[in-house]
Amino acid sequence: MNIDITGAKIFYTFPFKFPVLGQFSITETLVVSWLVMLLITGLCIFLTRNLKVTEISTRQAIAEFLVETADNFVIGNMGEKFRYMIPFVSALFVTSVVSNLISLVGLRSPTADLSTEAAWAVVVFIMITHQKIKANGVGGYLLGFTSPIAVMTPFNILSEIATPISMACRHFGNILSGVVINALIYAALAVASSALLGLLPGAIGAVLSKIPILDVGIPAVLSVYFDWFSGVMQAFIFCMLTTMYIANAAEPG
Amino acid sequence: MKVQELVTVVPWTFIAQILNLFLQAFLIKKFLFKPIREVLAKRRAMADAEITDAEKAKQEAIAMKTEYEENMAQARSRANEIVSNAQKNASAQSEEILKEANRQAAAIKVKAENDIAQEKKKAVNEIKNEIGSLAMDIAGKVIEREISEDDHRKLIDEYIGNVGEEL
Repeated sequence: MNIDITGAKIFYTFPFKFPVLGQFSITETLVVSWLVMLLITGLCIFLTRNLKVTEISTRQAIAEFLVETADNFVIGNMGEKFRYMIPFVSALFVTSVVSNLISLVGLRSPTADLSTEAAWAVVVFIMITHQKIKANGVGGYLLGFTSPIAVMTPFNILSEIATPISMACRHFGNILSGVVINALIYAALAVASSALLGLLPGAIGAVLSKIPILDVGIPAVLSVYFDWFSGVMQAFIFCMLTTMYIANAAEPG
Repeated sequence: MKVQELVTVVPWTFIAQILNLFLQAFLIKKFLFKPIREVLAKRRAMADAEITDAEKAKQEAIAMKTEYEENMAQARSRANEIVSNAQKNASAQSEEILKEANRQAAAIKVKAENDIAQEKKKAVNEIKNEIGSLAMDIAGKVIEREISEDDHRKLIDEYIGNVGEEL
């Protein structure tokens, strides 16, 4: 019994090599990401069809609820002046949730690839730094690293860099752990069901032991935590940290 | 099929995911937030318009009410005026009627008195004549002689004059 847990599949690699960046490959991560984007955009278009001012449909009620929830979340955490951040934070959250949950239909989550979370975390990090420089000026931003005393400078720089890394690795780690544990459980249950049904006498046992019957149903119970709870939770935590860090960065000092 | 490593950052995937994220933000903004915000704004405008309309209607109603009350007060004072005028007129008229009646009564009385006096005079004259001729007859018969008519007449008139004065 071999368990093989690998990274995303590479479907096609363009033959030319770019300097520094290397070859461009169409990976499973990218394909599923585009699928996720299509799903989300399609859902948006579906929800906003036939908008009415009065006597609204359930679809429109859901769409309005989503918009209001996004407004409340971003404005509640960041304040009125970050209203322009609402689409970005919403996109971050919904992409993360749908990417995490798409593993339920057997596709590989784009969030099970560290490149995805690293991309998001770096974008957030650039936004945080931009807000800090905007609030304090370049000099103030650089001076901030020496507070409270100059000796702390290396640690401050370390903690600054740790922010995006921790954000990316937290999200990635949770999703990857789900992938790993799911693979282990499927394999373990297959072994268990083959051993259990092998106890049956004669041909029936021989046939039934080839079918991993225990793999039906039981992993679904575990996926309630590893996919549903963890998937939504990590998306929420990522967006929460994004809004908090950016809002904090915008305050001078 | 080739697979990438389990934990690795692929530069091109990294760049593509950044672009994907911003593209997704743009798509969500265009297809979810923009139309929904437009509808919400429209609804708010409608609600505002309704509230303004209601306020306008209320003000109109208040204006109408004050106008109505004014009219009512005017009507009431006018009615009072009319009633008091009528009362005044009525009393004046009744006084007039009474005066007229008194006047007429007085006139009637005067006329009646005149009539009575005239009748009395007439009656007295008639009686005077009657008595005159009666007296003449009686006297003629008594003295059996005819005194001159003129003397006689004078005598009788004298007598009747005395009688008339006594009457």
